[in-house]
Amino acid sequence: MLRRVGSEWVLYDAACERAHVLNLTAAVIWTYCDGEHERASIAEAIAREAPGIDAHDIRGDVDDVLRRFADEGLLR
Amino acid sequence: MAARALRAMYHAAATTTAPATLRYGLHRSRAGSYIAASPERPLLTGASLTDAWAYLEWRATEDLLNGRGGDDVFLHAAGAEVGRRLMLIVGDSGAGKSTLVAHLMLRGHRMLGDDLVRFAPQDCTFSAVGRSVKIEANALKDMPLIASLCAAAAVGTLLAAGCHYVSPAAIRHDWQAQPRKPWAVVLLEAEARDGAAGIARSSDGEAGVYVTEKVLSREPGVEVGAVRTDVVSRLLESLAEVAAYRAAGHDPAAIAEALEKEALR
Repeated sequence: MLRRVGSEWVLYDAACERAHVLNLTAAVIWTYCDGEHERASIAEAIAREAPGIDAHDIRGDVDDVLRRFADEGLLR
Repeated sequence: MAARALRAMYHAAATTTAPATLRYGLHRSRAGSYIAASPERPLLTGASLTDAWAYLEWRATEDLLNGRGGDDVFLHAAGAEVGRRLMLIVGDSGAGKSTLVAHLMLRGHRMLGDDLVRFAPQDCTFSAVGRSVKIEANALKDMPLIASLCAAAAVGTLLAAGCHYVSPAAIRHDWQAQPRKPWAVVLLEAEARDGAAGIARSSDGEAGVYVTEKVLSREPGVEVGAVRTDVVSRLLESLAEVAAYRAAGHDPAAIAEALEKEALR
């Protein structure tokens, strides 16, 4: 469950009863973690939404954020 | 004595004609010790008045937290209404939440809660719980009004071991903050009580997590039932427009003044 709190986002993991603070980039990436988007397609989708940002940077951010999600046990 | 304690500590509680759904008993034995009775639990016997009272308060709180008191959720937090802005004050036990709330009341603001704050998932609002504010005896030196009430043993005050219980209704009759969504979450830092007083903007998301944990966490002696995911969702929804602050320092009066200034900007 992803909810905005003030200027940031909170992701609540109901299975573990844990809440995580996300920045805007991580929150956007989370919305694509639906089991249907691969790593590359997430980066492509974000690049389409934010055409002013370098695609290489986006791919790096997606990799970093997905790694953090996996480390926190959020990707099942 | 027990009747006086009850009047003092729940002086601010709203009166009701509704029949009681839960009953708690405090009895004095012939030997002079106290017996505490609470629903569906063994009697606590041979206790001092202080221990028996603390036992009953925790059992009643536990029953509320476990949902026997209705659909509302309770947070271990304090709070006040400054202007039309509601601030939730969170922090570990001993951080100074009660003292800060007392200073905000002395500045003319209404109380949301001292140690317990009610959250209504239906409309995402926080509202006051009619309990007394627990003020350490050494904190009274900066609060002449409350000190004089305590010295006179006015209605709504009770001296316990090392601290005074002061009913918010003893300070002002319209003490109760209006139910609404919070404007700010203030994290009071216990470990920084000795430095200069001040407030600073903080991470809104971390404040949201902290508030969520204050519902979910298991306080010592209290078994909190699993909070439903939809309640957490409503709780976070209520914090969508919140601003987070960290407050620290040795001077709670100065922190109260700084928070008031920020809220009235």
